[in-house]
Amino acid sequence: MQFTTDIVIGLEVHAGLNTKTKLFCGCPNRKAEQPNTLICPVCLGHPGSKPVVNRKVIEYALRMGIATQSKLASELIFSRKSYFYPDLAKNYQITQYELPICSGGKLALKDGKEVGFIRIHLEEDPASLVHQGSMQESPFVLVDYNRSGSPLLEIVTKPCMASPEEARDFMKQLITTLGYLNIFDANDGIIKADANLSIRESGYTRVEIKNITGFKEIERALIYEVARQKQEINDGKNRVQETRGWDADKGITFSMRTKETEADYGYIIDPDLVPITITKEMIEEVRMRMPELAPQKIQRYAGLGVDRTDAEIVASELELAELFERALEEGIKPVFAARWIRRELLRVLNYNKKSITDAKVDERQLFTLFRLVSGKKITEKTGQRLIEKLMDASFDMQEYVEKEGLLAVSDSGQLEQWCREAIAESTKAVEDYKNGSEKSLNFIVGHVMQKSRGTAAPEEVKGMLRNLLRNTSAL
Amino acid sequence: MDARELAEKVRARKIDPVQSIKEVLQKIKRINAEYHYFTTICEENALEQAEQVKRNPKGKLAGVPVSVKDCICVKGVESAAGSRILEGYKPVFDATAVELLREEGAIIIGKTSQDEFGFGGFSANVGIGHQKPLNPFDRQRSCGGSSGGSAGITQKADFPHISLAESTGGSIVNPASFCGVVGLCPTYGAVSRYGLLDYANSLDKIGPMAKSIAEARLMFDIIAQHDEKDATSVPHGQRQKHKEKNPEEMRIGIISYVMGDGIAEPIQEHTKKVIERLRQKGIACKEVALPTVKEFAIATYYLLATAEASTNLAKYCGMRYGKAEQLKGNFNDYFSDVRSRNFGKEAKRRVILGTFARMAGYRDAYYLKAAKVRTKIIEEYRELFKSYDTLLSPTVPILPPTFEEIGNLTPLAQYMLDALTVGPNLAGLPHMNLPSGNAQGLPVGTLLTADHFNEHILFRLGEILEG
Repeated sequence: MQFTTDIVIGLEVHAGLNTKTKLFCGCPNRKAEQPNTLICPVCLGHPGSKPVVNRKVIEYALRMGIATQSKLASELIFSRKSYFYPDLAKNYQITQYELPICSGGKLALKDGKEVGFIRIHLEEDPASLVHQGSMQESPFVLVDYNRSGSPLLEIVTKPCMASPEEARDFMKQLITTLGYLNIFDANDGIIKADANLSIRESGYTRVEIKNITGFKEIERALIYEVARQKQEINDGKNRVQETRGWDADKGITFSMRTKETEADYGYIIDPDLVPITITKEMIEEVRMRMPELAPQKIQRYAGLGVDRTDAEIVASELELAELFERALEEGIKPVFAARWIRRELLRVLNYNKKSITDAKVDERQLFTLFRLVSGKKITEKTGQRLIEKLMDASFDMQEYVEKEGLLAVSDSGQLEQWCREAIAESTKAVEDYKNGSEKSLNFIVGHVMQKSRGTAAPEEVKGMLRNLLRNTSAL
Repeated sequence: MDARELAEKVRARKIDPVQSIKEVLQKIKRINAEYHYFTTICEENALEQAEQVKRNPKGKLAGVPVSVKDCICVKGVESAAGSRILEGYKPVFDATAVELLREEGAIIIGKTSQDEFGFGGFSANVGIGHQKPLNPFDRQRSCGGSSGGSAGITQKADFPHISLAESTGGSIVNPASFCGVVGLCPTYGAVSRYGLLDYANSLDKIGPMAKSIAEARLMFDIIAQHDEKDATSVPHGQRQKHKEKNPEEMRIGIISYVMGDGIAEPIQEHTKKVIERLRQKGIACKEVALPTVKEFAIATYYLLATAEASTNLAKYCGMRYGKAEQLKGNFNDYFSDVRSRNFGKEAKRRVILGTFARMAGYRDAYYLKAAKVRTKIIEEYRELFKSYDTLLSPTVPILPPTFEEIGNLTPLAQYMLDALTVGPNLAGLPHMNLPSGNAQGLPVGTLLTADHFNEHILFRLGEILEG
């Protein structure tokens, strides 16, 4: 292949599908408190046990295929990939080799660049190995088969990303898409990547970095590896094709094996699983029930007058987008709802280090708050304070605002009284203002705000003060 | 008394199943000391079941002793496919076929000896530490394989008994022929493989062995059920049966190439007599050719079977079940040590052959090509079944050999003796050995093959010949 960029990156991403049961048996597909409790003869690979395909995964894979405009296979065929490893119950993994369920396909990055796919296929997850401390120092290895046989979707991209930043954005877009399709649990699901990296300086000698978890780690690992390779070349070392591991704790990659010791997996069609025909009807049914995806939502929101960045951020998480859409159903104006979700809701969520799902915000009260602010019943400042309070616990927004006297003061008599008091109490500032200091006016505004306990709208106060001060000078 | 009569008497409470099983257990212990037909006799288990049947005497096999090939899982009873690597392995579940038999009141008396994992045609490749089953007619000779123990006990038992056996490339009909009993290898997909310790999953079939066709049929009708736990099990709606025919309407194809070279003289004689008898009954017999089967079946079978076997046997690494060894070195050192010490010679040979056939660079030439030839073989049979109800040939080209003679055969020469049985096994066709007389005091068998899911034609024809 002829490469043109300085850096060439391709990714192989494994995402855990959120089906109720495992890929080839009826065991629950979820995390468990105790090791080896979600197991049966099939996922333990006991002699005599046989795999049976969980049909739900076909639908899941088709959703992904349709969302990425992939070519869909007409048959579901599984193969055995043979290698000996203690986490592999049968010492072979059931995966797809000959005919992946999806091929081709693409996904757009934030800037519109399209990342092409080679294939998307289904496979089973191995068990997890448990060490005491680090793998190197542990005196033992324990095996937990709870994860053994869980369904994974493997997405293989073309080598077409040109920077670690692009790889990071790709992962982000991918997670968003998987979440939108409701086939992956963005908060709890496993997502791991192997990255292929080649740089111009080495004549594009390929290095594979294994087992990187999460989109931030992808960028970190790739930035490290690019720098490391450049250093080696500067030091006059010859680059060889190799496979490296990523140690997230130390922030370094380490050599695992070179090409000479690459495994031969000796694939055969899994004779325990008969091919399953994927009919046009099956595909059509999935297509009919396809949800609206992020790019379409962004377009639609922008059409409602929502700021482009607000739209992108609201659409980046399905839960946020759904919240936004429910706000609209409640009669809240799109521009306002999007702005407040992005700026205020996300601000407090980030501050509390919570996602929208685990924060469990009382939506009814949140919408009441939105209505109060957008209807100018309370000031934005009060709204900001109340959204923070709503994060801790739910409370009756309307009642609280009334009881605490937080309603924005629309009674101009009351406002005027506060302004007059403030002018009388701020002789120095009044004098400075009259001598041309705008800053001094802000000081008096602050004074009024204090008196009103935030219920006065600052712009209104400013206007009234100007009027009063003009008049006093006339007096 | 046959199995049907026994079950009837147990149901009518005329026979006490506990007493009868106690006697059977005494008998098989005595037989086993001399002939080695069982790897395990599950006395406690059997008595417990007999007690249950006594309390509730129901089912088509109420109180009938059933032996089960060692490669078929019986819950709580060592099931090791005749291999030392699975020494001590007691499955936590019953194979579906075993479960179905138990539901009909069958009593599992023990696990029968076999070539390790089914790797052989003489039951001479038993696992390390196992004893070869000996031919009931001459202890110097082989029972055939790989279901040798099942065939031996079926012949030797002087009490009603049926055996649950298994075939990959001929492992039911071959030993049935050497021991002079009826052996039915059903259509692939007719009997669930759930609970079968795999040799080659696309070829393995579980089936009955019995003294009579009626008993074989009794067991087959019980176990031939669709099973959701086996993805290759065929739903009943998709099992297309041809309609029953009278003898004068039947057409039998005599496989031509097996009537000449390579077939022992007395076996040719016997087969000719069988054909003569069929003609006397008004059945049309005509020679047919199977050129692709003749030329390529053995090579195709050994490539596919060993490729699959080499992946199936990978799980035996001394980590989760079966034989373990002292922990030392890394994982690769450990599992290599376990496998080196506990697999027999033929198991190692087939793992190596099968791994080679699927390695990058050889995969296209061997594994994938064999898969394509297999499709051709199936087509060749399909074509014949448009005009014929059954195909006929001898079951094995030789009389049961002595162990000394077997020892002098090269592995390839041994593989070649499967020539008559690998065809129907590759094509997944039902086939049955029918004892058809004796030569030099040893049994000779006839092989009948029918179209997919047409076991009833085999039974019908068998009954005509038997009667």
